[in-house]
Amino acid sequence: MTNTALEAPQTSTAHSSTHLSFPRVVRSEWIKLRTLRSTQWSFAIFVLLTVGFGLLMAVTLDTSSGPAVDAETQKSLTVMVATLGVNFTQLVAAVLGVLIISGEYTTGMIRSTFAAVPTRLPALFAKALVLAVATFVVSLASIIVTALVTAPILAGQGIEGQLFDGEVMRALVGGAGYLTLVALLAFGFGAVLRNSAGGIASVLGLILVVPTVLAILAGITQAVWAQNLSAFLPSNAGALMYAVGDGSAAGGPPIGAIGAEVITLDTTQGFLVLLGWVVVMMIAAAALIKRRDA
Amino acid sequence: MIEIQGLTKRYGAKTAVDNITATIRPGIVTGFLGPNGAGKSTTMRTIIGLDRPDSGTVTVNGKRYAQHHNPMHEVGALLDAKAIHTGRTAYNHLLAMAATHGIGKARVHEVIAMTGLESVAKKRVGGFSLGMGQRLGIAAALLGDPQTLILDEPVNGLDPEGVMWVRKLTKHLASQGRTIFLSSHLMSEMSLTADHLIVLGRGRIIADAPVGEILALATGTAVRVRTPQATDLANRLASSDVTVTSVEGDLLTIAGLASAQIGEAAAQAGIVLHELTPLSASLEDAYLELTQDDVEYHSEVSR
Repeated sequence: MTNTALEAPQTSTAHSSTHLSFPRVVRSEWIKLRTLRSTQWSFAIFVLLTVGFGLLMAVTLDTSSGPAVDAETQKSLTVMVATLGVNFTQLVAAVLGVLIISGEYTTGMIRSTFAAVPTRLPALFAKALVLAVATFVVSLASIIVTALVTAPILAGQGIEGQLFDGEVMRALVGGAGYLTLVALLAFGFGAVLRNSAGGIASVLGLILVVPTVLAILAGITQAVWAQNLSAFLPSNAGALMYAVGDGSAAGGPPIGAIGAEVITLDTTQGFLVLLGWVVVMMIAAAALIKRRDA
Repeated sequence: MIEIQGLTKRYGAKTAVDNITATIRPGIVTGFLGPNGAGKSTTMRTIIGLDRPDSGTVTVNGKRYAQHHNPMHEVGALLDAKAIHTGRTAYNHLLAMAATHGIGKARVHEVIAMTGLESVAKKRVGGFSLGMGQRLGIAAALLGDPQTLILDEPVNGLDPEGVMWVRKLTKHLASQGRTIFLSSHLMSEMSLTADHLIVLGRGRIIADAPVGEILALATGTAVRVRTPQATDLANRLASSDVTVTSVEGDLLTIAGLASAQIGEAAAQAGIVLHELTPLSASLEDAYLELTQDDVEYHSEVSR
């Protein structure tokens, strides 16, 4: 701390080549992401939860007492084992998504970020991009690893996973895609609310509490609107992304009075609904970040 | 060159900066002086676009900061030593900031060496003292080899050696033709560092002049006189233009007369003088004189 040299800053390497650009901002955000312990921990927990819950389900699954499982159920079980952890990792993805932006606001780092990237939106989008890519890669890898690790165990139960079956593959990628969109949705909340506790509470409320409340309401009143609304919630619509078959087994709207007027979404529609949530939150975040004082 | 044109910034009902116009020129150190809450930080935040002005414009070298292609080379700013993620190491923080502009690792090491942070560069910022935080903030500000350097209270929390270093650094950078704009509420520090002063009180510019001129603005200079015949001298000099204050039995402070006039008057009356010292007002006095009506928070203890 004492030997403070007084060198001219201009002794530095030529700065003719230095300027702001989006790829460089992305690189900066990547450095920021990988140099925080919270992200390192989050992704480690991601892998552990996915593989752990997959193994737990594979080991405890017992098909010996029932009739031989058909091909469709075999696929469904394979996907279910590989994506069981998503129920838990979505919480990690949500917390990580909020923290990655709210952490900059609570520490004041955002002012350094916006001083370096004064147009602001490139920083917001670079951060979202880095978060999305990292979440997708880590979750897809852990889902695939889980599928591979549990395959021999399931085979012992007479379940041949057919990992390279198109439908199975789509569902596994869908699981990673779902987690990525949850992280981005949470990121949008974090950017709008600029507060860790508020952001996490809002996202978890939307993913966990609201669906439960609506399910109870729909169960009691048999109200069609509650069931329809429920189908469009991020977690319910998104669950279709990693389901095989009609998807109703993986968190679709509660099966009560299914009538003609109750809406059921297919996989693509589920994906689009969740994507819609993300886009709306990102637009709100972008509009506010451009307008507000940092 | 920073040009502030009719800048006004309000936070709710409170007007933090009230229609100020100023030009901060290159090649000199411009000090931004004012009591707490005068609007110094707000003004500096609008320069780099962290806060949006309610009216008026602020440009750096002719353009709004955000319109520059190479912002970190235009302006390096330390606005808040705490504007750093506490969970990251100093080195990684600088690396991430540098990456936005494609500034290499060599420059990161260079600013770490310049600010004397080598020994703590790999430590996480959360454990930094205020002084180390200031050094890291200055290191980040220097990353882009900026033409304009803005430092908000840079010597806050620095040890005397660090204060000296900031003083030398800013003067050195100004001598290279850069624009240096630093704020402080410490007038004594400013009198040593700045060439030009902009004094702010309650969001308005009270004075914008070279340091010497601000000093001269102080109301009248005083002379300290020590004499065994204090009462006698006081009676002889007393008039409506002259204020004589008795400090001790044989010590007077006389305002309104030059030391030559006092000496001559004493010689004529045969009064023996043991001391005759002209007192030039310090910048601090000048500053308090200027801002006494414009401080937002008066302390109860009078000077």
